Amino acid sequence: MKNAQSILILFVILFPWLGAIIIVAFRQNKEKGQHWLASAISLLTALAAWLLLFFNNTLIISIPLGGIFGNIEFVSDGLAILLVIIATSIGSLAILFSTSYMKGESQLSRYYSLILLFIGSMTGLVLSSNIFYLFVFWEMTAFCSYALISFYNDDPKAVRGGMKAFIITQLGGIGLLIGIMMIYADINTLSIPEILQSAATLPTLTLQIAGFGFLVAAAAKSAQVPLHTWLPDAMEAPTPISALIHAATMVNAGVYLLVRFYPTFKAVPGWNMTIIIIACLTSLLAAIMASVAFDLKRVLAYSTISQLGYMVYAIGVGGLFSSQFHLLSHAIFKTLLFLSAGAIIHSLGTRDMRLMGGLNKKMPFIRNVFIIGSLSLSGIPFLSGFWSKESVLEHGLEHGPLWAYTIMLITAGLTAYYTIRCVWMVFFGESRSHMQPHKISSMMKTTLTPLALGSLTTWLLAGPLSKFLQSSMPFHHFHTYSFWEPFLSVLTNPYTYLTLAVIVVAIFGFFRVKKMKGLIHEVRGIIGFAEKGLGFDELNKVFVTPTLWLAEGLRYTQTGILNWNIFGILLGLLFLISAVLLGGI
Amino acid sequence: MQPDFVLEALIFAPIISFPLIYLISRITLRITAKKGTPINPSRWLALVVMLALLIPLSFALNHFINEGSFFTTIGTIELQMDGISVLLTTIVILMSLLIILFSGDYMKGEVGEEKYYAMLVGMVGLVIGLSTASDLFNLWIWFEAMAITPYVLVAFYHDRAPVLEAGVKYLIQSAVGTMLVLIGIMIVFMQTGTLYMPSLNAINIQNNPALIVAGILFIIGFGVKSALFPMHTWLPDAHSQAPSGISALLSGVVIEAGLITMIRTLDMVSGAFAQAGTILIVISALNLLFGNLLALRQNQIKRMLAFSSIAHMGYIVLGVGITMTSGNINGAQGGFFHIFNHAIMKGLAFMSIGTLMYSLTATKKNAHDPLTLDDMNGLAKRFPFLGICLSIGLLSLAGIPPLAGFVSKWQIFIAGFETHDPFIIGIVIFAAINSVISLAYYAPIINRMYRLTPSPYNMKAKAITPFMKIVLSILTIATVVIGFYPTLLNWLTEPAANVILTAFWHS
Repeated sequence: MKNAQSILILFVILFPWLGAIIIVAFRQNKEKGQHWLASAISLLTALAAWLLLFFNNTLIISIPLGGIFGNIEFVSDGLAILLVIIATSIGSLAILFSTSYMKGESQLSRYYSLILLFIGSMTGLVLSSNIFYLFVFWEMTAFCSYALISFYNDDPKAVRGGMKAFIITQLGGIGLLIGIMMIYADINTLSIPEILQSAATLPTLTLQIAGFGFLVAAAAKSAQVPLHTWLPDAMEAPTPISALIHAATMVNAGVYLLVRFYPTFKAVPGWNMTIIIIACLTSLLAAIMASVAFDLKRVLAYSTISQLGYMVYAIGVGGLFSSQFHLLSHAIFKTLLFLSAGAIIHSLGTRDMRLMGGLNKKMPFIRNVFIIGSLSLSGIPFLSGFWSKESVLEHGLEHGPLWAYTIMLITAGLTAYYTIRCVWMVFFGESRSHMQPHKISSMMKTTLTPLALGSLTTWLLAGPLSKFLQSSMPFHHFHTYSFWEPFLSVLTNPYTYLTLAVIVVAIFGFFRVKKMKGLIHEVRGIIGFAEKGLGFDELNKVFVTPTLWLAEGLRYTQTGILNWNIFGILLGLLFLISAVLLGGI
Repeated sequence: MQPDFVLEALIFAPIISFPLIYLISRITLRITAKKGTPINPSRWLALVVMLALLIPLSFALNHFINEGSFFTTIGTIELQMDGISVLLTTIVILMSLLIILFSGDYMKGEVGEEKYYAMLVGMVGLVIGLSTASDLFNLWIWFEAMAITPYVLVAFYHDRAPVLEAGVKYLIQSAVGTMLVLIGIMIVFMQTGTLYMPSLNAINIQNNPALIVAGILFIIGFGVKSALFPMHTWLPDAHSQAPSGISALLSGVVIEAGLITMIRTLDMVSGAFAQAGTILIVISALNLLFGNLLALRQNQIKRMLAFSSIAHMGYIVLGVGITMTSGNINGAQGGFFHIFNHAIMKGLAFMSIGTLMYSLTATKKNAHDPLTLDDMNGLAKRFPFLGICLSIGLLSLAGIPPLAGFVSKWQIFIAGFETHDPFIIGIVIFAAINSVISLAYYAPIINRMYRLTPSPYNMKAKAITPFMKIVLSILTIATVVIGFYPTLLNWLTEPAANVILTAFWHS
């Protein structure tokens, strides 16, 4: 049994990589083969991931390298298997969708090999039981994300978006690096179970620095304020990539990191509160920005940032199960929304919602699945989003500060607002574009259907999921529920109805606002500011501009004149001698 | 084979071949030119010599792993092969072999081709001799002799003004450096009465300000050769104007040889000059700053890679400095590991660029124009293999796992954290930030390569030759394998690091 499990674990990591190499070896002109091969590889990987459900957790030590690189260790516990299944299943759906969406594009071998490389790296990230390898896979997913965002290399916006994502997530990764190395310097191990065990023995300073370092890395990866600016610009990627990487899998890596190391850092003073503050700020601001954006994918991007804020908020208040439950339902409905948006954009040739409208009659299938996704996102009963969001809010009210709950409640209202706005602008009203949408291919319908069904039904797994998570994770505390418990507790909680009331108000508000042209005119200054990202991009410039200015200034040291070069040598000599002998280093 | 014979073979076989290759090639050229088409056998002669050198190399490695250091005596001169020597010898022989394979087609038919190969082979022997010297004056002689070969090789295209300028700057700045070193050696002799390096360790030389000055002179003097700040100003010109194989050799071997010689001399005065490590760490930070920021502004690819070499010397020196100040072996081990990896990665990058320059010579208007960023547009369409090799090389240089550059940087950084010293940890964090900044100039090259609209003459470039493909494949595979299996080279890097450890932290 152990052997079969080891093989499955290594399979879900290495088989996609093998697939990536095979696809690169395929020539460019064999397009059909590439679609077919990528789909087959991803489906087999997803199958292996589902099979892992039937095994209990086991530690697999592959190669003891020892020392500063640690041993290659993987453990397939509940948290890992949940994310592996999400990554591989949604990965397969995204690839299947791509076979239709990316038909006729060039450099498909690069596209598919990068997606497969990403899937393998993501599964490796969550399965790693050695924090060095977690970091390795972390960086690899960042690379795949960059390469796929800038897939259309001829488009300068795409390349800029890719570079921005790469640099911001890598700088965040330094936080993770610092944390890992500080921990290693104290307890000399890179094994995650050992780190979780020794939370009590680590010196306070190490815990504080590592805790906040990990938080910075998680915030960068999961696009939390103020490191969120890369995600909207990452929408230049092909839409299946936006669905897979920037909605359902890679951005969850930050949430995963926080959950995985929660037992170690939960006692660090200020850590929980910082998480709550960041999460609330992120959710609210992202929801505001989504309410004024006109680019369909940007609305969904801001929505992702906002929902990730919910997951992080849940962690901050100690609701680990709620955060994972919301992660699961969000992955499904956000992928659904993104892929449908992809179908719309592909048909109409535009991403601007002001040029859409009236698709109600023209794209009935997409309208249906998009509305299902939207209902789930807004938290309308009885879809997955409703149950998971209420679970988060309930836990937050019980265990977190009241002001945080209030902000998240308001955000729930805003979520409903921007969602209905989005649905209205795209599907209803007058048709504002001359474009005739072409028929959706059957492959697109085939991939969207399971996602829609998932949004309708995944909530039923709540109880079993909680038991699954708790049973395999000895260091963590997940609330466990019996089958009906989560639903009963939500339905009997009076605050649930408060949330629903807020949502209803928001929806009515939308229809009112459409009529209040005057009011909109007044606040157009604020709206304009929100459209430009509330000033956070300016914050980025605070770092980039001085660096470039310094680089340009330092060019003067390369004078090109030999005498100055030699002067530099002698100056160095004089400086060192005086510093050491007179200054006393 | 007896170990002393092996050592002598390693050093003197290439040195003797140096004039022989030149003479035989010139004579053959004369004879065959009279009869018809001139044939220049120098590349094959050089290849034969390098392949033959693999035999004593394997003996040397075998002996070293089983029995440790060994030495040989020629007259009164003692040459000792210890951990550092083994590392440098291995790197120089392997890299030169690959470069000679690569240069075969690259330098075909050039005027002075026989000088090129003769000098290359000569450099190999002189570098090996340099790494085994155990007497300060002998060390200086080897260093000067070794320094002659890259001057000629850098200024190979001597009918072009920028090349000559690069060569002259390199020559004069190096000469200033070696003069400072000579003054340092004189001070050591005056203070201690001996130049024999192993015995210098035993003499108690603490609290001797003259020896501190000598140590500083060594840092500055050898620092010119190893491109430490502020002595690095010759490097961008020299490495970008040299033929691509030589750029690879310079970045991968010669500047590291300068650093290794510096380490040897600093080991000798480590009793008096304990601050050496701290000074090296500060210099490493400056190397990183200048190397990375200036590379950001470059438009010519080879110049960008040259500035990146300055930055990578920063990582290496950081690792060495950490071991000198704290006695943590991981620092120097990471540094030596990075020397090995840098030779491979930089070799891969420079030789990929060289391959491209070779292919474009027929189509570019001015064949000697430097390769710019715009020339990289759409390259992967015409040369998919080259695109992958260069991408892997650049990503490895940026420190992206699972490639070689990442694992050696990891080792250096973790050593810094293990010292628990806030100053060193700060510098390590600075180095990590620099690693991220370097992405900003490596990644755009990859983006340009995979564009769909190629630059005007890319599609008409001639094909890559098989030898070039073989060399690039070997280097790419090595980069990936080392990245996946970082402890593969522990047997090579650990003894080298131990040499520094025992010198600075007498155990």
